[in-house]
Amino acid sequence: MDGFLQKLYDTFIVDNRWQYLTNGLKTTLIITLFAVMIGMLLGFLVAVIRATHDKTGRLKILNFISKIYLTVIRGTPVMVQLLIIYYVIFASVRIDKTLVGILAFGINSGAYVAEIVRSGIMSIDNGQFEAGASLGLNYTKTMLYIIIPQAFKNVLPALANECIVLLKETSVAGYIALEDLTKGGDIIRSVTYEAFLPLIAVALIYLIIVVGLSSLVGRLERRLKKSDRG
Amino acid sequence: MKKTNKGIIAACVAAAVLAVAGCGQTTSNTPASETAAQAPTGAVIPNTVFSADDLVGKTIGTQLGTTGYIFAGDVENATVEAYNKAADAIQALKQGKIDAVIIDSEPAKVFVEKNNDLTILSDPFAEEEYSIAYKIGNDELGKKIDDALTSLKSDGTLDSIVSHWIGDEADHVPYTPDSSVARNGKLVMATNAEFPPYESMEGGEIVGIDVDMMRAVCDRIGMELEIENMAFDSIIAAINSGKADVGVAGMSVTPERQKNVSFTQGYAVSKQVIVVRK
Repeated sequence: MDGFLQKLYDTFIVDNRWQYLTNGLKTTLIITLFAVMIGMLLGFLVAVIRATHDKTGRLKILNFISKIYLTVIRGTPVMVQLLIIYYVIFASVRIDKTLVGILAFGINSGAYVAEIVRSGIMSIDNGQFEAGASLGLNYTKTMLYIIIPQAFKNVLPALANECIVLLKETSVAGYIALEDLTKGGDIIRSVTYEAFLPLIAVALIYLIIVVGLSSLVGRLERRLKKSDRG
Repeated sequence: MKKTNKGIIAACVAAAVLAVAGCGQTTSNTPASETAAQAPTGAVIPNTVFSADDLVGKTIGTQLGTTGYIFAGDVENATVEAYNKAADAIQALKQGKIDAVIIDSEPAKVFVEKNNDLTILSDPFAEEEYSIAYKIGNDELGKKIDDALTSLKSDGTLDSIVSHWIGDEADHVPYTPDSSVARNGKLVMATNAEFPPYESMEGGEIVGIDVDMMRAVCDRIGMELEIENMAFDSIIAAINSGKADVGVAGMSVTPERQKNVSFTQGYAVSKQVIVVRK
């Protein structure tokens, strides 16, 4: 028991090592939050472009660009994308690494969000478009006021899942020496040479955030359900 | 009506795409002229570190878990960035993302040799000794390896190995294990093959002084060498969890490490040096 307490002390208390975890957590949360925002924005845009093209045949060029974006981003690992953004796109530039992380994970997430949202839009019955048209709404307004709200409700669980995946994926940010939560644990591990406590602590923190996120989404889902008939 | 709305959508989308693209552009645009002009050499921001004293307040790159990382942490007001690989820190240095890299002298020489836009500052930090790490309490193995090292040193084998990898006549010819030795059991060596000339990948093989030395050690103690390549900061954990018997990775003896593993006698002297852009 004494040995365990000593390890606990060495891992977290000495030299304020717990700060590696709290600072890392802060970085992880910042990256995740902004990446989710970029991802949602990009994802919704691309999804609307793709769905519009599928339904009406318009926006050919934008649809083509979107398809390339989806293929490239979904066809390459996020870690490689991160390294490319840091070492190739921003070569020879001193750039804030958190920004690199936000861009890399945001652009990556956008591709997945796009396909989730598109599947949601496509799942809405064509009758809804017709209903919109019969009410005198144009395509944009129908999309905005009738289709997207329903689609959003349908894809909410999948979107929440994407956020959770994104949060966990940010753990590769350490590759560009960004001190996120995982790297924080790694740094502690590299000075104490003790694997158990830092890794378990890091895992627990991720788990707690994910469980928290899941329960929040559950609440949101229940609230959105109130508008359901029945 | 439909047309105008289509136009609005298109405009919105175009604006958004441009904004996103612009995000990347604006940040990379500022030094665009420099990027273009200096693309071949890579260095963008002129070097500002000319001695160890200049490190104060600078951004220092290191490899996670190395003594360089510990030294960098002692520099006043410095931002220390811990890369997973020394080569990544060197890359960041070349691109002007950091001001200096603190790293062991021999790998530094190799990196500087391969990158003519980098140089090593003349004032090094304190000297340190590389040793072979093994699990605390595994003294039987430790003693065997230590004896083997003593004999390799006294009969000149170690010097001859080193001469193949360091110096003007380094021909990178690996040590040839003695095929007549009867081998009994495996010795698993944990290393991080990104640390030339001690260990690095050449033609798909892990080669270098540490590898050759351990092959020679295995000849003496009659064991078969198996090499496990891993992150440097995982080596001690691998030894303690029984995934490896020894850690041989240009590892200096530090008090922190000694709390967790035992070390044999030293086999090489090294020092931490500062690498900067020219």
